[in-house]
Amino acid sequence: MNGAIGGDLLLNCTDMSVLERQRAHLKYFNPSFDSPLAGFFADSSMINGGEMDGYLATAGLNLPMIYGETTVEGDPRMSISPETTLGTGNFKKRKFDTETKDRNEKKKKMNREEVTEEEEEKSKITELNNGSPKSIKKMKNKAKKEENNCSNDSSKVTKELEKTDYIHVRARRGQATDSHSIAERVRREKISERMKFLQDLVPGCDKITGKAGMLDEIINYVQSLQRQIEFLSMKLAVVNPRPDFDMDDIFDKEVIVSTPMTVVPSPEMVHSGYSHEMVNSGYSNEMVNSGYHHVNPMQQAETSSDPLSCFNNGQAPSMWDSYVQNLYGSLGV
Amino acid sequence: MASADKLINTDVPEKDVFALHFLRSLSNLRTQNPLNSPDKSIDRVRKIKKAAYVSMARAAGGNSRLWSRALLRRAAKDDNKSVRFSRRKRKISSKRRRSNQRAPVVEEAAERLRNLVPGGGGMETSKLMEETAHYIKCLSMQVKVMQCLVDGLSQK
Repeated sequence: MNGAIGGDLLLNCTDMSVLERQRAHLKYFNPSFDSPLAGFFADSSMINGGEMDGYLATAGLNLPMIYGETTVEGDPRMSISPETTLGTGNFKKRKFDTETKDRNEKKKKMNREEVTEEEEEKSKITELNNGSPKSIKKMKNKAKKEENNCSNDSSKVTKELEKTDYIHVRARRGQATDSHSIAERVRREKISERMKFLQDLVPGCDKITGKAGMLDEIINYVQSLQRQIEFLSMKLAVVNPRPDFDMDDIFDKEVIVSTPMTVVPSPEMVHSGYSHEMVNSGYSNEMVNSGYHHVNPMQQAETSSDPLSCFNNGQAPSMWDSYVQNLYGSLGV
Repeated sequence: MASADKLINTDVPEKDVFALHFLRSLSNLRTQNPLNSPDKSIDRVRKIKKAAYVSMARAAGGNSRLWSRALLRRAAKDDNKSVRFSRRKRKISSKRRRSNQRAPVVEEAAERLRNLVPGGGGMETSKLMEETAHYIKCLSMQVKVMQCLVDGLSQK
């Protein structure tokens, strides 16, 4: 009978919130019972009400469990009522009004998205058999699992969305789509792009097809450049010991004779962006002289003291000249 | 591939900058050993060569490039040895091995290129390509500068 009255009460105040309904329940029960049970009930209601407030504040999804907990101690039959609201089956086994069930059901469905009915039915059956807090605990666990599943699903969905945001590489038809092969493809694309870039730099490389041949050509070119530098430095080493070869002399010649080769002696001039005309004018020569003045005194001292000391153990300048000429002639420069 | 295009930046400074650096290092070389020992011509060649490489690395931007950084570090480390590029230890050996299995010919050629480009031992293949492009540009620039210098000296 108590259940029926409670059901009526629930029917009357379905538009109230669950907490309000629970409180109404307790209010209803407390004055009506004169039995010693009332005191116990009041205490439990106090405790459970406090608990319930906390639960409600923290998680609204756990409502049915709390509902169950609060009512278990008071009336074993009441413990069934919250669970029945979850499912659609087993209606005839309840004495409650179906309307309240439907409404509660809707509310629960709003709260929890994917609750399979089969599980609920199973839990209900076990509940009916036992009618104990154990079943409620099971129910709790199930509910939590479901929540976790829901959250996992949602997180997975968001991760996938992020992934699709990040990776811009598309696999064409027939290409593999796992991350390793995509990364490998990106790497290969990068390499081939740079190879194209290198192809423009290396002369005679554009006729060769195939990466290996191109790489060979690039290697040959780099090696030839390095050998060239070695050879030129050899030449310079041979040329340089001439005492009367001042750097000024070189600079004068470079500046005057070879117009494409404009030697800029000071970094100030480089940064100030002087044009080639300025370099070719007399001003540049002055700059050259001032820029490399620290070289001159020592060299001039050397040449004045012993003009041939630095030169191939005292060879004659004419022989040196002829030697250099022969060298260049033989090298074909 | 706009980002990759932005990555490939092989702008090389003007020839003047290379010439300036090279001549300055040459004059430094001259001040350091004032030609009192003319018989060690091999040593001279080596020094000039090193000066050429170091000045090239400086002109190319010093530490901004991987190859120039490796070259300068190497040059600073052993002043006596000639400029040679031995490989550094492999950092990503397992990765390299895996890619070796995929394209053995290309990777083998890339290995040889790694020996040529200073500091290429620890580079990824794509990075190696980029550095090689810059290195080739700088090398050709340096060769031009030295050729001009030699021509100017030989004309007399």
